[in-house]
Amino acid sequence: MHQILVINPGSTSTKMALYHDEREQCTHSIAHLPQELASFKTIADQFPFRTKLVLQWMTHSGIATTELSAIVGRGGLIKPIEGGCYRVNDIMIQDLTKGIQGQHASNLGGLIAKEIAKQAGVEAYIVDPVVVDELQPVARYAGHPAFSRISIFHALNQKAVAMEAALQIGKPYSQCHLIVVHLGGGISIGAHLNGKVVDVNNALNGEGPFSPERSGTLPSGQLVDYCFQRQKSKDEIDRMIVGKGGLVAYLGTNDSLAVRQRIDRGDQTAADVFAAMGYQIAKYIGSMSVVLKGKVDAIVFTGGMARDSELIRDIESQVSWIARTIVIPGERELLALALGALRVLRGEENAKEYH
Amino acid sequence: MTPVNENQALRILVLNPGSTSTKVAYFENEECLWQDQVLYTIDQIASCRDYLDQVEFRQNDLETLIREHDLDVSNLSAIASRGGPFKPLESGTYLVDESVIKDVRNKNVQIDHVSNTGVLIAYDMGHRYGIPAYFVDPISVDEFEPEARISGFPGIDRKSLVHALNIKAVSRKAATELNRNYDALNFVVAHLGGGISICAIKHGRIIDVNNAVEEGPFSPERSGTVPASSLARLCFNGQLPYETVKKRIVGKGGLNGLLGISDLREIENKIRQGDRHAELVVNAMAYQIFKEIGAMAAVLKGRVDGIILTGGVAHAQRVVERIKEHVDFLGRIFVYPGEMEMEALASGVTRVLKGEEKVKSYT
Repeated sequence: MHQILVINPGSTSTKMALYHDEREQCTHSIAHLPQELASFKTIADQFPFRTKLVLQWMTHSGIATTELSAIVGRGGLIKPIEGGCYRVNDIMIQDLTKGIQGQHASNLGGLIAKEIAKQAGVEAYIVDPVVVDELQPVARYAGHPAFSRISIFHALNQKAVAMEAALQIGKPYSQCHLIVVHLGGGISIGAHLNGKVVDVNNALNGEGPFSPERSGTLPSGQLVDYCFQRQKSKDEIDRMIVGKGGLVAYLGTNDSLAVRQRIDRGDQTAADVFAAMGYQIAKYIGSMSVVLKGKVDAIVFTGGMARDSELIRDIESQVSWIARTIVIPGERELLALALGALRVLRGEENAKEYH
Repeated sequence: MTPVNENQALRILVLNPGSTSTKVAYFENEECLWQDQVLYTIDQIASCRDYLDQVEFRQNDLETLIREHDLDVSNLSAIASRGGPFKPLESGTYLVDESVIKDVRNKNVQIDHVSNTGVLIAYDMGHRYGIPAYFVDPISVDEFEPEARISGFPGIDRKSLVHALNIKAVSRKAATELNRNYDALNFVVAHLGGGISICAIKHGRIIDVNNAVEEGPFSPERSGTVPASSLARLCFNGQLPYETVKKRIVGKGGLNGLLGISDLREIENKIRQGDRHAELVVNAMAYQIFKEIGAMAAVLKGRVDGIILTGGVAHAQRVVERIKEHVDFLGRIFVYPGEMEMEALASGVTRVLKGEEKVKSYT
């Protein structure tokens, strides 16, 4: 049996868990108030504070470092890499500390994991960070050299559910053709071709369907006009694309359950906007089906909104001709991290080296 | 409008102002007897402030050309003009009347585009000789379903601007090949020109299309969809004036932006000489085209009677083959290179003159 400690630092919480193989033994989430974190200048400055909280929880829960087989942390905004489980090495520590592609709480995952791993005398890993980049060359172009398409997406959950779907289909993930649809506050739709995500929309950069909090693709001419009117600041426009776009802009809430209730009570605007979101999702799935030349083993729905069976049914009515659909709702990041490390501990996969 | 006598020949003059040309054709009973064009240099056009600036010289040159062909304008049954990006309209053949002329003269149109000049010229000529003028399936044909209009942010709506004239014509042609009624069929039509429109046609109606000036695949001269955040950053960096950013989207985008040339024949030569970058860029354009075709197939719920590739780029074997390879599973593929706008204008007006279709009113 392997004992794996899992650490997932988010912007407003630190989540941690102990796994015995695939089974969760105990888990804990510590919420951080904004004023508590405000005293730190950079994300990296939070490192001692959050490490101490994890160690305190371990002591409290009776987890001895000597019994651990490995420690796995959420990976951060490091250089673009192919998917997999990576050993936390010195170069990665440098890049996470600097935040070479941006400041994000997940940068702390690898740092904390490495610190505790040193004490435990075991390896520290990260698994499928958001910067996983397996795009095929033709997918990298945007229509002007000033722009390019970049792979930033829900790689951890996309890969985890893709592997789970592969099990259901009865083929190795490395031989499956899947379209994975992550329906969260942001939406990412990836074409998984033989284990590689060869195309995916970058929801953080204003691409793809709109989502509860993001605008997705916007008509470029109108966006330029909007920007040059200078009635909105750069920050306001950024927030209109990520944070305050999509459902929240049209309906005042990013809570898809609340929207569903409004639709059930007869709110026509809510129904129209929600239908449009489903429509854009279906269109993007259609695009990805052509990327895979129509040879699709399954369309896999995941993320929180995959629990909305009516939304899934609406999308299915437009795309069920492409392939069977599999619904794996929610986002189990802690489990996905544990499974990534477990594949390495069991020798099913080799740990990768970050350069 | 009373239907004309069956024995009477239908004589139609067709006008089609494009970015650096005005195409003219004369049809008798749907047969094209001659076609010609007036050509302009890019510099001549660039010196004009807007489309209204182009009306006078285009009309003079056109009338000279018509005289050279010894055409008796007073003997025409009708004049057919290409329609521009007017207000949103349903598909069909429209009488050029005071109301559309007023909007076009007052620049009450969706974009500054040379196609707006056609109706002004046709109306003026028709007026002088007492001949009706029509426009057919203008760029602003709008048959969107409601869900297609929402973008992802309130205040910015998706708009239907589309190469409707050629798209409707090629789908009628495919319907004839299939020996089925056009109104009963679903098509995905990819109009691949300097700009690219890819649309879902459901039972004859264009229910969704990427707006070629600000959405969709990149094209020889346009950037198509670009990541919104990156675009906003560019708008706020303080280095580039509005016009420059706009030019990157339409004009200096796409192949023109990525390779410095937009002519696919020239690019094809480069590829043959071993230019790998040019090859990758052309493949990327094909890639974005077939992704958009897939999106429109989903709009039609997979019920696709045909995929139609048309426009100048459909002459490019490399692009067509790559698209075919990916979309083959969707349905039968029809390739109609070039465009058939002149025939489409003549046919649209003929249908109305023969009473097969009701003429529509702009107001």
